[in-house]
Amino acid sequence: MNEPVLSVTDVVKTFDEGAQEVAVLKGVSLDVRPGEVVALEGPSGSGKTTLLSIMGCILTPTAGQVKVAGRTVKHASQADLRETRRQSIGFVFQQFNLFPALSALENVEYALNVKGVGGRAAAKEAARVLETVGLSDRLHFLPRDLSGGQKQRVAIARALAGAPKVLLADEPTANLDTGVGTEVLALFRDLAKREGKGLVIVTHDPKVRKVADRVVGMRDGRLMSDLAGGFEPAPAKSDMKAVQPKYRRGQEANTL
Amino acid sequence: MVSLARKNLLHDRLRFVITVAGVAFAVTLVLVQVGLFMGLLGKATVTIENASADIWVTSKKTPNVDFAHTFPETNVLRVRGVPGVARADNLLIQFMNIQLPSGAEEGTLVYALDDFSAWNLPWKVNEGDVGDLRRGSYILMDRSAVRRFGTFSVGEYREILGRRFKIIGTTSEAASFTTAPIVFMDLKNAQERLQTLQGKAQYILVKLAPGATAQAVAAEIRRRLPYNDVYLKDDWARRSRTYWVVSTGLGMNMGITVFLGVLVGIVVVAQTLYTSAVEHVKEFGTVKAIGGSNWDIYRILGEQALIAAVVGFALGGLISLGMRPLMARLYLNVLISPAFAATVFAGTVLMCLGAAMLSFRRVATIDPALVFRA
Repeated sequence: MNEPVLSVTDVVKTFDEGAQEVAVLKGVSLDVRPGEVVALEGPSGSGKTTLLSIMGCILTPTAGQVKVAGRTVKHASQADLRETRRQSIGFVFQQFNLFPALSALENVEYALNVKGVGGRAAAKEAARVLETVGLSDRLHFLPRDLSGGQKQRVAIARALAGAPKVLLADEPTANLDTGVGTEVLALFRDLAKREGKGLVIVTHDPKVRKVADRVVGMRDGRLMSDLAGGFEPAPAKSDMKAVQPKYRRGQEANTL
Repeated sequence: MVSLARKNLLHDRLRFVITVAGVAFAVTLVLVQVGLFMGLLGKATVTIENASADIWVTSKKTPNVDFAHTFPETNVLRVRGVPGVARADNLLIQFMNIQLPSGAEEGTLVYALDDFSAWNLPWKVNEGDVGDLRRGSYILMDRSAVRRFGTFSVGEYREILGRRFKIIGTTSEAASFTTAPIVFMDLKNAQERLQTLQGKAQYILVKLAPGATAQAVAAEIRRRLPYNDVYLKDDWARRSRTYWVVSTGLGMNMGITVFLGVLVGIVVVAQTLYTSAVEHVKEFGTVKAIGGSNWDIYRILGEQALIAAVVGFALGGLISLGMRPLMARLYLNVLISPAFAATVFAGTVLMCLGAAMLSFRRVATIDPALVFRA
């Protein structure tokens, strides 16, 4: 199998809260390969967002190692982290986080500008990426004139701008209705497979499991499960113990 | 390149209008107030600038051209004997009372010379001939006197210190810093008006011979007239201006006006940019998350400040230029030279950029991780 595009090894993250030191991640390891869709699940406070921030080179781990697109970012400077984000990572956020004053095209174009692509090349590439997500007829619409699904498609297009190897999505369907959420997830999977991107989706949405290759469960700062995706979730009490029999890679899922 | 700065600024039009209005207010305040002051200062030296004298001999410690003291009129003979002097004449500049047809008395500043035409005084004659002044009890009166003395016309008479003078012409632009209108009359007539002026002069105007060095001639005059002061034209103009700027507190007053204008501008721009930065904190977090640096955000704020400066300056400049004709009706000159306008523009840009920098600290601390918070 291909080399992972995203690799997290024994990552520990602690935060100082006054006199207390709180460990949010307690030795997490996870590999994501090109074209692989990983759903990251867990209750609030389990450490999903912290792990996503570390995988996205926004936070640095207290201990452990992170490798993105072949680049090890352990002990990296803020400038190195920024450069890794710029070159290798695309983000999709729960609230879309589009720039409200910019049109769909400009939102994507601006991201390309930040990544060092300018002029006509940026406009052309932005239009191409928006076409990929099915928004070629909404290029000059402001976010306020787009539906929730269309906004998320723009956000996906922005994340794809600059051809990053890793896509990280934080609750991308949380603000979408069921039908639109399903469409967006299908688009995500299609893009990840077609363009060979490693995709991690932090979610509470059971629909994500259907498009994921793997469903990774977290609790209390540890990975508790790693299941094959593509299935409907258990209808009730779908906690980690309930899905343990379906572990794909062993019972001790903390080092996956 | 997509300008997030410009788009954000124009997206919130009300805030943009408030920002620009604040800058325009500050620019107008500075341009008009300082322009008025410069216009007034111009009056303080307008006769020095226009007279064709290269050197001015004054009494000791004369503070400015309007406040002269006397010395013997024969001093001019010693000046005329200095090598390098082509011509030297006595000049009187004296406040005198003028009787108005209404019965009221007003003050006027009398300029008195033997031969005005030799010294380019007055420099703008509307009616009459300065050469006729020496033929009798005649005066030329500046048009600006209408505001203080009421309407008048050539052929009318006015009484100055008990003697009737016929107005034989009018001039323009001849008004002193004190706003007293200037009247031109023959030297002998002026000397006869006041006993203290008889046999006296207040200035000696000196014209250099071709090839003569002003410094050398001035040094020789100083040597020959140790109880007088001798100034080159520019030095004398500077001394007159400095008197009004420093000794009267007017300079301090202007300084405070400029300071307040700049303060208002900084507060308005800083306040609106800071509020804008706070409101766009999630956007800036997104910029950082997708790989932008603090400098990318500083550039956004800086560009916004620059746009506010340029638009605000243009608006303030137009308002100031629009006020000039209104001020001119009040005989007030708002002097806005290209150099002054350029200085104010540079100051406006600095002011706005400085104000933007107050937001830099706020955006520098933005954690890109906030993009994951709902």
